[in-house]
Amino acid sequence: MNRLEEMLLELKDTSEFMVDLAYSSLIYDNEEIAEEVIFLGDKMEELSLKIQEHVIEIGMSKPEEIARIVVMIRLQASIMSIADAAKSIADIVMRGLGKHPVIAMSIKESETTITVAKVAKDSVLNGRTFADVRLRTQCGMFVIAIKRDREYIFGPHKETKMEEGDILIAKGPEEGVQVFKALVDGTDKELLS
Amino acid sequence: MTDSKDHTKLDHIEMTVRELLTEMKDTSEIIVDLAYAALLYNSEEMAEKVDELEEEMNDLKYAIRFKVLMSSRTKRDAQQLSGLLQVASAADRISDAAAKIVDLLELPLERRPFVSAMLYESDEKIRATRLRPESSMVGYTIGKLGVEACTGCRIIALKNRHGWIYDPDDNVKIRAGDDIIVRGTQDGFKLLEEYAAGSRPWEFPEISEDEEDTTPQEEAASINEDEEEGDT
Repeated sequence: MNRLEEMLLELKDTSEFMVDLAYSSLIYDNEEIAEEVIFLGDKMEELSLKIQEHVIEIGMSKPEEIARIVVMIRLQASIMSIADAAKSIADIVMRGLGKHPVIAMSIKESETTITVAKVAKDSVLNGRTFADVRLRTQCGMFVIAIKRDREYIFGPHKETKMEEGDILIAKGPEEGVQVFKALVDGTDKELLS
Repeated sequence: MTDSKDHTKLDHIEMTVRELLTEMKDTSEIIVDLAYAALLYNSEEMAEKVDELEEEMNDLKYAIRFKVLMSSRTKRDAQQLSGLLQVASAADRISDAAAKIVDLLELPLERRPFVSAMLYESDEKIRATRLRPESSMVGYTIGKLGVEACTGCRIIALKNRHGWIYDPDDNVKIRAGDDIIVRGTQDGFKLLEEYAAGSRPWEFPEISEDEEDTTPQEEAASINEDEEEGDT
C-alpha cells in the first residue's frame, strides 16, 4: 500500500471512530468525549490537507494517475462529510443541547455501548498486554482504541501493552462497563483466570 | 395542512420520536459499513441496499421534523428539541455520504482497482465467513448468541438459502452454510471465524450479576438459554 492509500485509510478509520465517539458523547452527555471528537476532527482536517498536497504532486508528475486520484478525492470528500456529521453531533453536547432524555434513550437502545477509562498506576492492567489480561473474557469489552499522550492507537493488537495514563476506549455490552471500569481504575484487582 | 395531496404525505408518522431517532442512528451506522462492503466486494446488490436505506433515511428525517415541531410548546422544549433534530440531521448526512461512496461503483472496475485492496487493509475490518455445519452458532438467533457483544463484530449482512438479509435483526437464525459479512477488529474477526468454522465452541454472553441491570426478560432468557433452542 502506498503512502496516499495509507493516509486515506487513516482518514476513513478515524471518521468511523469519530461517529462512534460522537454517539457515545450523547449517551453520557459527556463533554470530554465530545471534545475528543472535535480534536480528531481537527486532525482529520490536517490529514486531509496533506492528502490534497500529495495528490496534486502525483497529478502533476504522473498524469496517468489522474483517474485513480479522482476516485481518491471522491472517497475523501465522503469521508470528510461523515467526520463533519460526527463533529456536529459533538457540537450538540458542547452547546448543552444534548440533554433531551429521548436522545440518550434512542442512542442507548443499541446492543453495545462505548466507554472510556484511564489506566491507573495500581490497575492490574498497567504494564500488561491484551493477551495477558484477556479483557474480553473478564468483562466482554473490546478496546477499540488507546489514547496515549495526544496520539491514538487504533485497533490495538494482542501484544500491545497498556500503560499508566492510557485512556482506553472500549466497546461492548452495557453489563460489562462497570467491571471494565473497575479493572482499569484499579478498584478491582482480581482477574479471572 | 389544508392540502393533503401526495407531496405532503409523510411516511413513518405513526412512529414515536424515540423510535424514529433510534432507527436513524442505527441506519447511519450500518449504512456506512454496507457502503464500504459494497466497494470491497464490488457488490451492486449491496450498493442498491445503501441507496434504499438512504431514501428511507430521508423519509425518517421529514417524519421526525414533523413530530418534533408539533410537540414543541415552550422555549425550553424548542431548545432541547433543536439538539434532537441536529442528531437526526447528522445521521441523515452520514447516510448521504454513504450513498456517495457507493456511487463510485458506477465507475468501471479498471478505474478503481486499488479501492478494494485498500479497504481490505483497514483497521476496522469488513470480512466474510461461512458457517460450517459443525459450528455451535448454528441454530441460534443472532440476538441469543449476542454476536456483537461476544466478538465485537457486527453482522452487517447475511446470505442464507432465501437470499441476502442486510442489517439482520436479532431474531434472524444462523444456519449451516450461511455466509455472513461482518464489521469489527482483526482479533474479533479471528475469534468469530473460529466459532463459525466450529473449531471453537460458542461462549454465551455472561449475564450481569447486578439485578438492577437485568430486565426480567433477560433473566428469563438466561435461565432458559440452554433448554430453549437446543439442537434445531
